[in-house]
Amino acid sequence: MDKFENRDALIAALTEDITPVTPLRQSHGAALIAFATVVSGIACVVIFGFWSGMINGQASPYFWISNGLLALVGASSTTALVSTISPRVGAQSTGPQWSVAMLAVLPVAAMLAILSLEAGHDHGLSLSDPGSLYWKCAAYGLGASSVISVAAIMFLRRGAPVSLDRAGWLIGLTSGSLGALAYNLTCPMDSLLHVGFWHVAPVFVAGVFWRYAAPPLIRW
Amino acid sequence: MVADEPTFARLMTAAQDGDKAATNVLLSEAGLWLERYFRRRIPPHSIDDLVQDVLIAFYTKRATWDPSRPFLPWLAAIARYRWVDHLRKVYKHESQELMDDDASEDSEEEVVMARVSLDRLFGQLPTRQAEVIEMVKISGLSIREAAEKTGQSESLVKVNIHRGLKKLATLVEKAE
Repeated sequence: MDKFENRDALIAALTEDITPVTPLRQSHGAALIAFATVVSGIACVVIFGFWSGMINGQASPYFWISNGLLALVGASSTTALVSTISPRVGAQSTGPQWSVAMLAVLPVAAMLAILSLEAGHDHGLSLSDPGSLYWKCAAYGLGASSVISVAAIMFLRRGAPVSLDRAGWLIGLTSGSLGALAYNLTCPMDSLLHVGFWHVAPVFVAGVFWRYAAPPLIRW
Repeated sequence: MVADEPTFARLMTAAQDGDKAATNVLLSEAGLWLERYFRRRIPPHSIDDLVQDVLIAFYTKRATWDPSRPFLPWLAAIARYRWVDHLRKVYKHESQELMDDDASEDSEEEVVMARVSLDRLFGQLPTRQAEVIEMVKISGLSIREAAEKTGQSESLVKVNIHRGLKKLATLVEKAE
């Protein structure tokens, strides 16, 4: 935009160029993120194959608990994320923080389970469980989250987020949780030691990553 | 007299529909509102530049106003965003000067700007940071003089000023 001599000249120039605009809708952002999640999910199924365990009852409770929590984190952070497109002042939703705190119970529980194993109580768990060290699930979940983070950034660039750090966190939490969810549905490993660490890790990794990487991309 | 919320909202709805006359009135009224908003926040000579900056942002991002929500909080949020940006540039500039060790050569104008920007938030800084910012950035003492007065080393004075300014920018950004 050219520099103007005075405010009246600026207003005259802006008025001259005015065109109708359609107000941005939060629902469009939510739909875009949902679409990106479905695309990620389909890509994961194509690449890794569909796991029938969730249909035939083979999936453990940990599978349902972890994915249910990821879905909740995804829903709360998506809601908060799309609301950042419109500048506003006042209290902000703390829903995403609480949902992430709930999700954090899983790695803490996994850690405590390991301590219990050391103390001689296995609770049906074993450190020789191949899933306990299979970190690649976290990497795949992060890969799936990249599609969602691109969609989230594209949407936010059309908007006007005024708290860039918060928007960065929310991009990470949204993409990390929904990306992990999209991948996890294809993973047959569902012990506490596996899901507690590797299935939820993408949320925390993506959250920290986008907190720092996103602000320059959405600054306006 | 500056327009009220319902008038602003009506004008903005028309502006989103591409109505030139309404846009002209809206931008003029928003300019007056912003002038008043910034009067208590930045030095008078910077107000017009910042108002123009916000008007451009306002125009560019006009699609982000949701007609079902109030207009003035939307405008205030854009104004605050641009104000924080402005403060960050001032702080960055001043911090750079500190690192170059020529803070005592600040012009009177910069000192006044620092006073206007910092005074309101001083109470929230640790004493050691606030006192050296006050001495160097407002009273115009050199780093060495501030170090002698406070008993802090010169490097610590620089670090405390740098951290204090950074914290002030964060406080402003987080303030609702």
